[in-house]
Amino acid sequence: MVESGLEHQVFGPTDVLAHATPEVLATHLPPELLGKVLAASLASGSMTPDRVLETVTPELLAKHLPHEVLWACIAAAAERAGVGADK
Amino acid sequence: MNLKGFLDTALSHALDVGMGSSDDVLRHVTPELLATHLPRPLWARLLTACMGAPRVDAQLVVETVGVANLCEHMPIAVMWNCLSEIALRSLGREFVPLPVDSMSAMISVGSGPVLSRPAPLSLTPPPEERPREPAPERKPAVGPAIPSPSASDSLADVVAALEADAGGASPSGRARSATQQRFRQTNTGIGRLAANNARRPQAVAPVEPPMATAPARTARRGSTEVTDYDLETDVAKADDWKNALAVEDEQLVDWSGTNEETQAGGADDFPRKR
Repeated sequence: MVESGLEHQVFGPTDVLAHATPEVLATHLPPELLGKVLAASLASGSMTPDRVLETVTPELLAKHLPHEVLWACIAAAAERAGVGADK
Repeated sequence: MNLKGFLDTALSHALDVGMGSSDDVLRHVTPELLATHLPRPLWARLLTACMGAPRVDAQLVVETVGVANLCEHMPIAVMWNCLSEIALRSLGREFVPLPVDSMSAMISVGSGPVLSRPAPLSLTPPPEERPREPAPERKPAVGPAIPSPSASDSLADVVAALEADAGGASPSGRARSATQQRFRQTNTGIGRLAANNARRPQAVAPVEPPMATAPARTARRGSTEVTDYDLETDVAKADDWKNALAVEDEQLVDWSGTNEETQAGGADDFPRKR
């Protein structure tokens, strides 16, 4: 579902990381994944939402992050699009 | 031994003076090691800083996490290799990294878990409690024999006994007078009569000279005395007040009588004058 929303531009990587905050990522992502994110950022010189989602794919997000967080991201995007306010 | 504290101080100073850089630190403290040993709150701080920074580099990582946290959470061998590389490079010597596993094992064998604990406040055990020795027997004091007063003896009796022992003579050879009461009893008011109660000399107050124009007055004024302060009165009808205050003999009250007599008939016989 997150991958579909990103693919169809219902929400973007920035919207995802607005809910998957650094605290949430640091709490739920496994250490090796955190190391990969930092290594990729150090290699490229910046840590952008796009680069984070290149390392932490939607599949990994769905695997490690609480589903409430991901659903909040989807619901907020739907509300912005005028689909509904169901959360 | 606070090895982490030493590494923190030494590495921080090396970075401050420019002997080493953050790249030297990140060369040993890899993202994999950070991912393994860094606590999650520090990871959250690091991710937040990285996402908000225009550029992510080793300096940002080291400044965000802090050398103290790195020394606290990273393996000691890793931090030692970092410090050793900086030091040997400044000395112009070749750096040979120490295997992390072997150094960790060496440290664990040498000092054990004490490394991660702060040094105790007191390293010396408290002194053993020894049994107290009995106090040495006190020798009697050498001097004149003074009888110990009993509870019933008064102070005068004690003084009289002492004078009787001395034969009535003082140590100077002079005869002493009879012992008198040396302590003032209470409520005698003797303090007011003491010699030291004399008044101290006081400053003389200036006396105003008598007025030359005003006549000297006597304490009591006579009936014919006329001064500037006398008021003018009408004396033409001087006898009128005597007539108004004239009292008959019947209206007089005999005050020499008893109370009963006065109260019995006084109210009825004599109208009260208001």
